[in-house]
Amino acid sequence: MKWTNVKLIFTREVRDQLRDRRTLFTIAILPLFLYPLLGMLVFQVMQFTREYPVRIWIVGSEHLPQQPRLIEGTQFSAGLFNYPKDNELLEVVLADPDSDAAGSEERHLEAKRAVQSADFDAVIIFPPSFSEQLERFRKQLGDSRLPIQNEAVGEIPNPRIIYDQTRDESRVAKERLATVLHNWRENVGREYLKQNNISEIVAKPFVAEETDVASEEQRRAAVWSKLLPFVILIWALTGAFYPAIDLCAGEKERGTLETLLSSPARRGEIVWGKLLTIMLFSSATALLNLVSMSVTATLMMGQLEQLEQTFPELPMGLPPLVSLVWLVVALIPVSALFSALSLALATFARSAKEGQYYLMPLLLVTMPLIVLPVLPSVQLELGTSLIPVTGLMLLLKSLMESDYQLALVHVVPVIGMTSICCLFAIRWAIDQFNNESVLFRESERVEPGVWLRHLVRNRGETPSISAALLCATFLLILRFFANFQFSTPESWSDLATVTVISQIAFFAAPALIMAFILTRNPRATLLFRVPHWLTLPAAFLLAVLMHPTAMTISAQLQELYPAPEQLQVMVQKLIEDAPNIWALLFVLALTPAICEEFAFRGFILSGLRHLGHPSWAILLTSLLFGVAHGIIQQSIAASIVGCVIGYLAVQSGSILTCILFHLTHNSLAILSQILMEDFLAFLPAAKWAVQSIEGGYSYSWSFVTASLALAVLILVWFSRLPHQLYAEEKLQEAIDNQTVRAVAK
Amino acid sequence: MVLNLFTRQFGHCSPISSVMIEVRELTKTYSDLRRGQFVAVDGISFHAQPGEIFGLLGPNGAGKTTVLRVLSTILCPTAGRVRVNGFDVLTQPDLVRYQIGFVSANTAVYDRMTAWELVEYFGRLYGVETNTLRERMENLFCKLQMDEIRDLLGAKMSTGMKQKVSIARALIHDPPVVIFDEATSGLDVLVARALLDTIGELREQGKCVIFSTHIMREVERLCDRIAIMYRGHILSEGTLHELLESHQQSDFEELFFRLISEHDQQHAAAGIST
Repeated sequence: MKWTNVKLIFTREVRDQLRDRRTLFTIAILPLFLYPLLGMLVFQVMQFTREYPVRIWIVGSEHLPQQPRLIEGTQFSAGLFNYPKDNELLEVVLADPDSDAAGSEERHLEAKRAVQSADFDAVIIFPPSFSEQLERFRKQLGDSRLPIQNEAVGEIPNPRIIYDQTRDESRVAKERLATVLHNWRENVGREYLKQNNISEIVAKPFVAEETDVASEEQRRAAVWSKLLPFVILIWALTGAFYPAIDLCAGEKERGTLETLLSSPARRGEIVWGKLLTIMLFSSATALLNLVSMSVTATLMMGQLEQLEQTFPELPMGLPPLVSLVWLVVALIPVSALFSALSLALATFARSAKEGQYYLMPLLLVTMPLIVLPVLPSVQLELGTSLIPVTGLMLLLKSLMESDYQLALVHVVPVIGMTSICCLFAIRWAIDQFNNESVLFRESERVEPGVWLRHLVRNRGETPSISAALLCATFLLILRFFANFQFSTPESWSDLATVTVISQIAFFAAPALIMAFILTRNPRATLLFRVPHWLTLPAAFLLAVLMHPTAMTISAQLQELYPAPEQLQVMVQKLIEDAPNIWALLFVLALTPAICEEFAFRGFILSGLRHLGHPSWAILLTSLLFGVAHGIIQQSIAASIVGCVIGYLAVQSGSILTCILFHLTHNSLAILSQILMEDFLAFLPAAKWAVQSIEGGYSYSWSFVTASLALAVLILVWFSRLPHQLYAEEKLQEAIDNQTVRAVAK
Repeated sequence: MVLNLFTRQFGHCSPISSVMIEVRELTKTYSDLRRGQFVAVDGISFHAQPGEIFGLLGPNGAGKTTVLRVLSTILCPTAGRVRVNGFDVLTQPDLVRYQIGFVSANTAVYDRMTAWELVEYFGRLYGVETNTLRERMENLFCKLQMDEIRDLLGAKMSTGMKQKVSIARALIHDPPVVIFDEATSGLDVLVARALLDTIGELREQGKCVIFSTHIMREVERLCDRIAIMYRGHILSEGTLHELLESHQQSDFEELFFRLISEHDQQHAAAGIST
């Protein structure tokens, strides 16, 4: 890779994008106007609720008591408002005192009509006996000899507010009426107390006082740390997507891609140049949005002061500077990840229009990952830090809240996971640039029948990449639904049945069926051939030597992600129920070894090797193998073991070697659980290597290191075995080994 | 005199051979949903020397573009061997790309780049030194009469202007091989004629030119040797004179149609017999 070429392509693409009005609009103009517009909107709404005068109709004002007064003249009493000037915003119309001729039913209907026809924004009706009842209650209260009984007083009829929820004016009117009425009711209550010489304190004997330990700055940081990462992520994604479409699908559409491909720029250089461009625009969009948002927020703060009076607990003010600095730092991995993803998708699209369609699925996939960290109770820990996007957001959140210790611990997994995702996306994009069928594919009519026939008729010796991915997806979906289908095993025979059936039905059978339908050579696909005889003892020995390392990794994982104790106890109990050790090994070691190997190292790896890079194929297969294990502790360990088995598969070319390794590995894990106590009792000298600890045993570091070193030696032996490469792999090797490039001077 | 810069050869960085382009048993198949494996090019062979214009003549869909895309490393051959100045297109694509300049109806110019910027950009990608690049660009712009469109954006250019820019782009690294794929399509008579003149000059400079077209007059006028392509096969190959001689025809157009109808008849007969 020549970085001068990457730089050249990068500068060209940036200039190209800057000359495009659409891009400039989305990244620069839109954010500049969006927030002021949004701000104005919020401001308008607030203005409306605060200052819009409403018309109130009061029906039955003649039934109101003299004291305390609700109405003075044609207005509510001045003392009933939280803000005195609010009185002017209530335009009050008193209904004519009504003769008894009109029933209350009729008044009600009339009021409803008045609100519906928008003659009035709200109506309040006081029932006829309102004041008399209040008076009776007051008298009753005064007579302290009698206990107060509701039955004696009779019910006080409630006033009724009539409004229209769907009309903003009416809602505002109702809110204001409610406030006035609330204050008036308090006055009435106070009056009663005063009459009976009771202190007002009786009604409110105490008030709970609150102390918030968070400083004002911390509170601001907490609010912004939830909001800003979200905004940044959304804009980083949007800012990456549109330039990506233009740079890849657009280039295809305008016919300049062939020009570029016939130039000496290598595919990797083209992809990197484009990726950096997309990253630049993605971060610029996010940054501009951040700036525009901050500026608008600052300008609006003055206006918001009144809001602060209403909601004093809501910390108003700009985010602290440190938070902003962290946001900008975090923008780099965020935009890198989104840019790589968008680039890969955009390369796949054959036109800009098709590219647009991919935005929605991309959003659908990333949205839950973006929303997850906002949920309460989702904390930064190793498990969450390994989830792409989510981990990054949680890390950013803890940085913004100045929780540096927590952040520091998780920086490595978060950045590691993000880098892996980025590299995969970049690899994918580069492969797409090498893929003729992607570069030059034409729109074809969608006919599933024709497609299926094509899949079978034009099948190759070994499965295609898409067939391998199809198989993996199918297995994972099957497994997912099977989890619902099978209840938790309650006895050993349950466990045995469920394990054997699911292994055969969800791993072995689909892989075998697909191998026979989708390939011409199922034997080669499933690596069904006799290996070099020495690889068998070598695989066995390798599994034995790797056992201490595998156990140590499992123990570490167990510590990081403790599995629920209940589950452990249950599994332990089921295992103890096993009739004998052979049954145990058959169900938990041999069956998975055979079934999983046929599926993963057989069908899936054979398909993915068409990628042309054996290491990528092994890695991807192992990740899928890990995901298929379902539980996070097992997934990580399985992915690591999967890499080793994948390597054995490529080097030995035989499924037997893989099965033997897998079988040995699983068997040792089971046997060591059961027999370690006896073994240590039998051979106390082994104590330097193995120690019994609570709930199991652990290997000493020196023993682990020594055995791992020997294992590496065996792997080196495997690396020297003559092995078959796929045509694509040979080609890639040749391309990578091209002699010094001739440079025109 | 103007293009004397281009007379320098690339011989020093490649195995010395008098054959600049060598295509042996080239086959290219596409997998197609409806037709299954579609053979676009079926085991064709030809070669071309420096200082020669080699014409690929054939109707649309004959497989000319596929052959030229393989030559320019945009597509990989399914079978057979293709070498450009001694470099294999499959295993040494990066080296091959330095040997060729590729002008095709499918190699568009960038809309948001001026003529000058575009040529400079590709010159830099080829790693041409700044001083040399400048000198070559001045010469090319002068020779191709592009000075007035120097600062014009691609989007605003006419088809003829775009084609000139493409040619300048393909010649900027002084490649020993220049490939023109349907280069005159869409051009008016004047521009097309100027283009043919330019191609003629490239031959004078000792370049190996591959020229594909479906227009017989262009081939007659320009090409030293001609291969007639139809449905992925080369029906006949040789100089114009040789072709007419061997098939006892006096008219090239007549010859072309005869070859094609013969092929169709054979094909039909083979189809019935199998």
